[in-house]
Amino acid sequence: MNNDGPPPLFGSWRNAYWIAVGLFLLEVALFYAFTLRFS
Amino acid sequence: MNRLDYVVLILAIIAIPAYGVWRTKTRDTLGHYLKGDSSIRWGTIGLSVLATQAGPITFLSLPGQAYESGIGFVQNYFGQPLALITVCAIFVPIFQRLKVYTAYEYLGQRFDGKTRLLGALLFLIQRSLATGITIYAPAIILSALLGWQLNLTIWLAGGLVIAYTAFGGTKIVSLTQRYQILVIFVGMALAFVIAVHRLPVGLSFGHALSIAGGMGKLQAVDFSIDPHKRYTFWSGILGGFFLALSYFGADQSQVQRYLAGGSLTASRFGLLFNSVVKVPMQFLILLLGVMVFLFYQFEKPPICFDQPAYQRGIALGHGQELDALQKQFDDVFARKRALLTSAAAADGEQVRELDAKSREIRDKATALLQSVGANKKSKDSDYVFITFVVQHLPHGIVGLLVAVILCATMSATAATLNALGSTTAIDLYRPFIRPDANDRHYVVATQIFTVVWGLIAIGVASFASLVENLIEAGNILGSIFYGTILGLFVVAFFVRNVRGSAVFFAALLAQTLVLLMFWTLTISYLWYNVIGCAAVLAFSLVLQRTVFFGRAAT
Repeated sequence: MNNDGPPPLFGSWRNAYWIAVGLFLLEVALFYAFTLRFS
Repeated sequence: MNRLDYVVLILAIIAIPAYGVWRTKTRDTLGHYLKGDSSIRWGTIGLSVLATQAGPITFLSLPGQAYESGIGFVQNYFGQPLALITVCAIFVPIFQRLKVYTAYEYLGQRFDGKTRLLGALLFLIQRSLATGITIYAPAIILSALLGWQLNLTIWLAGGLVIAYTAFGGTKIVSLTQRYQILVIFVGMALAFVIAVHRLPVGLSFGHALSIAGGMGKLQAVDFSIDPHKRYTFWSGILGGFFLALSYFGADQSQVQRYLAGGSLTASRFGLLFNSVVKVPMQFLILLLGVMVFLFYQFEKPPICFDQPAYQRGIALGHGQELDALQKQFDDVFARKRALLTSAAAADGEQVRELDAKSREIRDKATALLQSVGANKKSKDSDYVFITFVVQHLPHGIVGLLVAVILCATMSATAATLNALGSTTAIDLYRPFIRPDANDRHYVVATQIFTVVWGLIAIGVASFASLVENLIEAGNILGSIFYGTILGLFVVAFFVRNVRGSAVFFAALLAQTLVLLMFWTLTISYLWYNVIGCAAVLAFSLVLQRTVFFGRAAT
């Protein structure tokens, strides 16, 4: 079973990678907001 | 620990492998043994990748790290999501398309047999030593605090893993890791809730965080470009990226996890899952350490968390000096607690001064214990979290948290033994010793190699007391070898005109260079990942255009 098709939900793997990058940047932004709030 | 704790502990560490053995009793081919079957889906792969990396050090040391230095350490993981996405986009499709069992098999297809052998040997040397340390590090801490015999603890953690990993191969490793990481999640979540619950009545969670922030523990992100700062966004992104790319792209213990099942989609989703959850998970573990720190602002902590070392210091005749330091420590603690519980809690400056004074006294005690040889094979901060667990959590939960440490040891060790056995069978035994045997023969050979590597790891663990700093030793070992291994793959993927002999000798030169630098320089070990990789790239280009110029592909 070697499925090289597009991923379910995301349209293409390129989209999936960009979404993962976007989520990581969102995490960094939230950590930075946390830092500003509590430091 | 009481009887309830031992029941919880034994259930957690026995039941999961027993379930794994039951689920994997039907297995026939080499492919199934080394890659599992199509029932392994992306969720299992994702949790398995997560569990392989999150060894016992993560759960013992990270809370202590936050206790001492705050949560800025989370930035060290910032390179990982980008590395995981890179592995998803470049490494995984190649490995899956060529249907390789090991990453080094690909080196053989791209270059030649000797380069494959070199990649496999570098991995085997590095990982077998590191696995011994993975087993030894929690064993020394648990045996010190719980009074267990050290060798018994090493065999408890290592013996069971050897048995079930050799029996069930990749499928049992992935299955057991799925449940072991769930035990870990539940245990750590309960510890977090109890730590918050044990804060003084009337102190809200938000106010508690403000106190921790005022004491400098909550700077998660620092965009400073000051090279002297230990943890910054930039060092995390750059240094962390190379380390994670080496680890996820070229370390068979991880490659075997995401190649399990054989579906490209499942492998990619499993890795993308890690790219999203890994950093928040590390953040929460560090935040747990901050909660423990806050707890010890109101409940007097020991001056030295490694109490066996403290007792040895007294036995060695330094009781009076330690007693004097203890009195100073108690006095500073009482003043600091009074300040924090009074209306003057807003006076952050004074609290910070007292906290610095408190740390100074602790450092003096640690230095004294070191100077008289009473400790240490690990840092005092490694004992912070387990001391909190043993002394302040209710029975049952203590057993669960000790199970968390042992589950983390077992899951990380199982993945590595599985990879060591597979690499030995596929990259050494099959091509060089018995190239024409049947599947059944190779399955048995892999099982035997898994047991042999397990025994070697336990042997290393038994001699690991010779290593001065255990936690650092694992990272240093990885950094010395990972750069060269990553370099082999980078050349393989991106430099089409370089051939086997050039990259083989380039890797030998690069590894020699890294070892010479390690023995003669005092730079941060993280740099060896970059230096090793860059040296393989540069040497292979030079060798291909000079010594090996015009030679046919090998």
